[in-house]
Formats: sequence, C-alpha cells, structure tokens
Amino acid sequence: MSDEIKPDELLDKIDYGPRSESGSKSEPASWMDTSVQIRPGMYCYAAKAESVETLSLPNARPWNPLEDDWKLPDNWQEILHQGIKDRLEKFRTFKVFMDICVRCGACADKCHFFLGTGDPKNMPVLRAELLRSVYRNDFTTAGKILQKIPGGQKLNGARPLTLDVLKEWWYYLFQCTECRRCSVFCPYGIDTAEITIMGRELLNLIGLNIDWIATPVSNCFQTGNHLGIQPHAFKDMIDFFVEDIEEVTGVNVEPQMNIKGADILFITPSGDVFADPGTYTCEGYMILFKYLKDKYDLNVTWSTYASEGGNFGFFTSHETMKRLNAKMFAEAKRLGVKWILGGECGHMWRVINQYMDTMNGPADFLEEPVNPITGTKFENSKSTKMVHITEFTADLIKHGKLELDKSRNSNRIMTFHDSCNPARGMGLLDEPRYIIENCCDHFYEMPPNTIRELTFCCGSGAGLNAGENIELRMAGGLPRANAVKYVHEKFGVNTLGTICAIDRAALPTLCEYWVPEVEVYGIHELVGNALILPGEKKRTEDLRFEPLPGVEEEEDE
Amino acid sequence: MHLKQILTKNKKLFIKKWFQATINTYPAQSAKVLGKDSNRFDNPVGAVTHETIEDVFNLIIGDFNREILEKTLDPIIRIRAVQAFCASEAVSFVFSLKKIGEDILDDSLIREFDKLVDEIALAAFNKLMKCKEEIFLLKATESKRRIHRAFERAGLVTELTEEDLLGSKKS
Repeated sequence: MSDEIKPDELLDKIDYGPRSESGSKSEPASWMDTSVQIRPGMYCYAAKAESVETLSLPNARPWNPLEDDWKLPDNWQEILHQGIKDRLEKFRTFKVFMDICVRCGACADKCHFFLGTGDPKNMPVLRAELLRSVYRNDFTTAGKILQKIPGGQKLNGARPLTLDVLKEWWYYLFQCTECRRCSVFCPYGIDTAEITIMGRELLNLIGLNIDWIATPVSNCFQTGNHLGIQPHAFKDMIDFFVEDIEEVTGVNVEPQMNIKGADILFITPSGDVFADPGTYTCEGYMILFKYLKDKYDLNVTWSTYASEGGNFGFFTSHETMKRLNAKMFAEAKRLGVKWILGGECGHMWRVINQYMDTMNGPADFLEEPVNPITGTKFENSKSTKMVHITEFTADLIKHGKLELDKSRNSNRIMTFHDSCNPARGMGLLDEPRYIIENCCDHFYEMPPNTIRELTFCCGSGAGLNAGENIELRMAGGLPRANAVKYVHEKFGVNTLGTICAIDRAALPTLCEYWVPEVEVYGIHELVGNALILPGEKKRTEDLRFEPLPGVEEEEDE
Repeated sequence: MHLKQILTKNKKLFIKKWFQATINTYPAQSAKVLGKDSNRFDNPVGAVTHETIEDVFNLIIGDFNREILEKTLDPIIRIRAVQAFCASEAVSFVFSLKKIGEDILDDSLIREFDKLVDEIALAAFNKLMKCKEEIFLLKATESKRRIHRAFERAGLVTELTEEDLLGSKKS
C-alpha cells in the first residue's frame, strides 16, 4: 500500500466525487476543501428527540441531516473544542493516536466500507484524518504557528472546525463499524475504532446521534433491552420457545427465571429473544441448560432485569455505556450467583472483556469462574467473572459431557464468520469452530485473509444495522459476502455460522442480496439440534420445524 | 475480417482498456487501489469488475441473447447498484467501450460495434433496475421478517401474517 499512496497525496489530492463520463469534471480539489454530500441510502436517520431526552443527553430536538440547519447550539464549536481538550487529557490513547499516525497507508485498503463503497474518505487513515486535521489546527503548537503563515495550514494538514467539517465527521463516523480490522495492519497499533468512538462521543455532546443507536439506548435504559420489551413480554417469548421446543423434542425445557441462589446468571442480547433467526439460537441455549440441569444439576438462571447483553451505550459515550452495563453486575449481586455466563454477541463482549471491569468492577462478590461440571478454570474471565458461552460449551464437549448427534445437522454445509469483537476484541477464535466440528459433519473455512483476526465485518455493526442505510450495509458487507460466495460455489456451503446477534440480524439480508442460497445460523442453534436431551422423543424436525436429514426419505420408504 | 473476428483478435487489449475505464469511474484515489491486480478477497470490487468484463466480452464475441447478457453482467451491476453512483453513472462503464472501439477498430466496423455496445447497455440497465428493486424490497421487508415473524410465531401479533405482508414471494 505504502508505495501506492504517498503522504502528500493523502493530504492533498483526494478527489471525493465519482468521475463523470463526460470528462467535464474540473481538477480535483483537496479532500479537505470538498464539502460532504449526504446521500440517502448511506446514512441513518437522526436520533429522536424523546430518546435523547430520556438519557438526559444534550440538545434533544427534531432534526434532519438532509436539511441545512442541524439546529445546533450557538456555541457548538466551543463545546466540541472543550470536548476534544477534555478527552485528550483524559484518554492517553486518544492523544497518542492523534499524534503518531505517519499516514503510511497500510490501513487504507483494509476497511470493508472502503473496499465496498470505493469512497476514499472511508479509508481508515482518512476517516481519522477528518478529526486529526482539526486536532492539528487547534491543539498542536505547530498548528498554531503554521496557521499564521500563508499556506501553513495546508502544509500541516490542518483545517478549522467549520460546519462543513462537522457534517463530514457525522457522515463518516457513522460509516465505520468500529470493527478494528484496520488496526491489525497498523504498524503503530493505532486503533481507529477508538478514534471513531471518540468522534461519536464528541458528536453526542451537541446532539448528533442516529436513531438506530439512541432509541435502543433509551429503551435499554428505561426497560432493560433494545426493543423496550417489558419483563412479562420477555417471559412470554421464552414460554413460547418452551412450547416450540417441546413440540420438536418432547421435553419441557422450562428455564429458571430470576432465581436467587442459582449457580450461574445467563445474559444474552435481546435479539436472541425477539428477532429471527436469533430466536433459534436462544432455543439452543435453553436446550443446553435443561440438559445440564437434568444431567449435572447445574442451575442457570435467566433475568428479566438484565435482559440485554448488547450495549449501544458503547456507540454513544463511555458514560452511557457504563450506565447500561451496570445492571449485569447489579443483577448478579442481587441473585447471589457464582459467576455470569454470556450469550452469543459481538460488541457486548468488547464491552465486557475490555471495559466492564474498569467501569463497574471489581466484581469481588462473584467467584472466579470454574466450570462445576469439568473443573476447568476460565482464566480469561478471572477479572470480569463473565464467561463466553462458546468457551463454556466447547469445554463441556472437550470433556465428553455432552451427548451430541451430529447427523441431525448433516444437511448443514457450514462455514464460520468470525464476528469482529469476539475475534479481534478478545481472541475467541477456536471455540466456536470446535463446537461446529462436533455438531456438524461438514465445515469449510473461508479464505485465510477473510477470517479469524482478519475477518471482514458484516457491515452493520456499531449501531448501523438500520433499514434506511441499506446501500451502505450491502456495500460494506461485500468483502464478507464475496468470501461466503466463494465457499458456497466451491464447497456447496449453505450455512453461515456466527456468534453475534447483529450478525444474525444483518447477515440474512446481506446473503439474500449477494449469495441467496446461504442461510445464517447461531452456533447454539446447531448445539440445540444435535444435543440428545434425556427422555426426548425421536426427533423428526429441527428447531426451525424443517425435516431432519434422512427423515423425508424414511417416510417415503 | 468480420467484426467478431477482430474483437477476438484484440480481446486482451479491449479487456484491459475496458477494465481501466470502468475502474476510472471511481474517485481517482480509490481507482488506484481498486485497479490493482491483488488477491480477489482483498480487493473484491477490482476482481469482480475484471472477471465480469472478461465474461461479458467473451460472450459478445460469440452468440448471446439479452437474458444471458443480463446474467453475465450481474456481478458488476450488483456492486455498482449499492455504490455512490446515480443510475447513469452505474451503467456508464458500458459506454466507455464505444470510445475504446473507435481507437482500435476500423471506421467501417464502428456502427456494427456500437450496436453491440447498445445491447450491453440495455441489458445493464435492466439489471440495474432489478438490483435496485431487490434493494428496495429488502429494505421494506427486513424489519418485518426479523421482528414481526418472531412475534407472530409467538402469537403476540394478530394482524396480518408475514406471508400476507410480503405476498406469496419471499424476496
């Protein structure tokens, strides 16, 4: 990359607009002078005033990104200037990341949004440069001196924070899923996701959030989960799953709910309870817990209070993230469990693994997690006291504690999509694969430059899984879909396994556009199908009420 | 020589020029990256664009009909339909063939060649409309499928079923 784009080109010669065929386009202007064009299909609707109000966040009012007037406070520049100053003092990483980028370009072609949209401002280096250019202008000594010299600002790659610059921030900071693929390639280890996180925090200071984030956060704060589902409806959905599972297995798997003194508290993203196809993954957890209760007398409780594992506060500000996260430890304390088990989710695990202990810990009222059935100590969860369910289940399988009938999933020709946060944020790479291999007969990896640490994002994370920005999502998901298509064509892969609720919501649409023959499954849905429950009837259908492999032929005979 | 024989003879040159012209419809800085001959998983837009252009060119030097042409154009149009192009820009790459033809072919063949290009353009426009329709439908039905279906299964909604909402066809 570095031989393709020279630093001065990055600074100077980026031409933003698509070229027209007529050749009438004038000489490209500097990217810093080109005002942003906000395109429908690429942006998410503005945050509803009521949602912003609920959270007591600043500048709640109706506004529309397509209108000229964004209804900002008069002193918005002053607020942002102070906001940047505060964060530079408070967060060492932010300061370092602002200073050390040498614009080598190693990250430039690693972002799924750049690769999919072809928009140069989606090169991670340039997205970060949107903020850095203002930082250089207002916060560095060189910037202050150079802005007094004609041409000095340009020399320094600096620019003042104007309304056009602000709009550009908003447009592009919400075209980043904070997936951190670019950071894997940065020789300095700059985490561009943290720059986006800071940028979004700053935007929130003047009321510039998107509704797909603000309303779930508001719901979560008031009712406990993203959709604002009240406890009785949460319970109703779970009861309904019990009925469905009984129809398939003949076993009543009634879960424990809000039980004090249970061994383990289980928290999963609410998408597993309320959105297809996550609901089948949820049924998989329920089957597993019933099995562990019957076989090993392990008591796992669900909670209607901690009914959301996801945390869109993470995409708002660190204070908001902390407020939403607090309920996990609070509920574990109230119920008096030993430790917490977490479901299949993406950003939930970055929050837990990297921030929870600092924000709301230490959870010294909990025990260091040990699997009571196998005796395995979960060293990775020593401080957070929260274990990822794939680590837990993989451990049970490894010790021969689960009876699995792989043949029930033999029609699933699998590949696995590493979700960005568990993969890059916590190094959870092999456990889901181990489970798949023990629950399915056929598993094929996508090409190595698209999986594990190098996984391509679904294109809809970090609060961008809305409907109105579908072109952005389809373009951003292209590098992922391209690899799925390859294994579909080469090996006949028909199922994309994943361990993230946003993936389960976003990837079916992505696949439908790019590779419609592939379905999306959570890993514990596969477990639920394969696990042989004590006392179960002869199963003929999977959890989706589709005939199990071989069953139709048997009936025909 | 007939047009198709000349096209066959100059195939490599046509494909090279057409690919470059297509990649040049992106902003200059992006075109530098997307135009690289890199791993197809590191650069899906570049790789798919190149493959499709080659496939379409191979098709037009033989026998083809509109339907096969649309199918062959699908990968490249499917990508351009979700990028920051207006409709005319999305299919404009087809017309760049005319200029390439003028540079390579004898004047006597230009008219015939242009007709071929028009065929590709019409098929490209059809495909673009189909992709756009797919996107609108995905947009319209996605949330219903995700949330409505789960609630419907649970008996928590009693209005129209998802099937009624979507019609008999799922996509």
